[in-house]
Amino acid sequence: MDSVVITITSGKGGVGKTTTTANIGTALALLGKKVVIADADIGLRNLDIVLGLENRIVYDSVDFIEGRCKLRQALIRDKRAGELYLLPAAQTRDKTAIKPQQMVDMINELRDEFHYILIDSPAGIEQGFQTAIAPADRVIVIINPEVSSVRDADRVIGLVEAHQKGPAMLIVNRIDSARVKKKDMLSVEDITEILSSQVIGIVPEDEEILSSTNRGQPVVLNSKGSAAQAYRDIARRIVGESVPLTMPSTGSFWQKLFGRA
Amino acid sequence: MSSFRELLFGKKSAEDAKSRLQFVLIHDRAEISPGLFEEIRNDIIMAISNRLNIDPSYISINMDEESGERRLLVDVPLKNSRRPTATRSTNN
Ligand SMILES: Nc1ncnc2c1ncn2[C@@H]1O[C@H](COP(=O)(O)OP(=O)(O)O)[C@@H](O)[C@H]1O
Ligand SMILES: [Mg+2]
Repeated sequence: MDSVVITITSGKGGVGKTTTTANIGTALALLGKKVVIADADIGLRNLDIVLGLENRIVYDSVDFIEGRCKLRQALIRDKRAGELYLLPAAQTRDKTAIKPQQMVDMINELRDEFHYILIDSPAGIEQGFQTAIAPADRVIVIINPEVSSVRDADRVIGLVEAHQKGPAMLIVNRIDSARVKKKDMLSVEDITEILSSQVIGIVPEDEEILSSTNRGQPVVLNSKGSAAQAYRDIARRIVGESVPLTMPSTGSFWQKLFGRA
Repeated sequence: MSSFRELLFGKKSAEDAKSRLQFVLIHDRAEISPGLFEEIRNDIIMAISNRLNIDPSYISINMDEESGERRLLVDVPLKNSRRPTATRSTNN
């Protein structure tokens, strides 16, 4: 199978890597693709709870690496989205539990069977990050429109290139179009100019993200909101459809009511 | 001081964010910290003013980046008399 391995990373923590991985993975599966989303954040696993699959984990990727199970046994099927599988991270180990080459070998084993394998990278630029990008065909860097996130992203983009994985593509997450309009927040144009990289998605700040994460239901499963739409658009761009990049309206009720967004 | 416009519409902080990022990223990418850059700047001023009559306060030394190419741009306006008579003989 012609599989594509995409690592989602950022440098800075808390910018939305896990949320993005869960939603794009789910959206790709809803497009009829066979998808694995792999959690590479060993010791701080979260994809399971964001997806609402935390109670179903028996084995994880470290169990496979250390020979306690077959890779198949570690995969958890998410029946809500067709052929979507989670490969969980170990929660009680650290980032050194999987070496870059072991990650490459493990992901290669999945390539025959799946169209897309998304890897949720840990924050930082140390070994965990290097392990997460080692098997990648493409790398997506998540950015929030604020100075420290953009600066960290620049560093990561450089490292991605140094590892021959470039050019990295950007997703600008948590943008608030009303604040951008007031020039009180960096715009997507500002960010592309500063980082000179290609943007493949613009995701608005959206209250729905918190409530859907509370329930363990990625927004793409059932929401018509602006973040959900943005994730679906990204999934369609990933499969090769040409979907124009538009500035999403900000998802808050008041902004919608007064039409500011 | 904030202008009436800023009070009314809020400060355009995005412009500050952009220019500050552009500055810091040039240094990050070149792996030349602002402190090291300051030292280089002083070295250059020293080297030139040893031989030429210049006013250090008019020298501008900047890092610039265009389509992935980094440059150090040094602009030194010269005074009319070419050589500082006093310091020249100290060299050689
Ligand atoms: N577009 C968004 N709108 C609102 N909240 C968001 C958005 N994206 C992420 N968040 C929130 O930001 C926090 C960090 O997100 P997470 O995906 O865990 O980041 P990371 O994996 O990069 O550490 C979470 O509370 C998440 O719900
Ligand atoms: Mg995370």
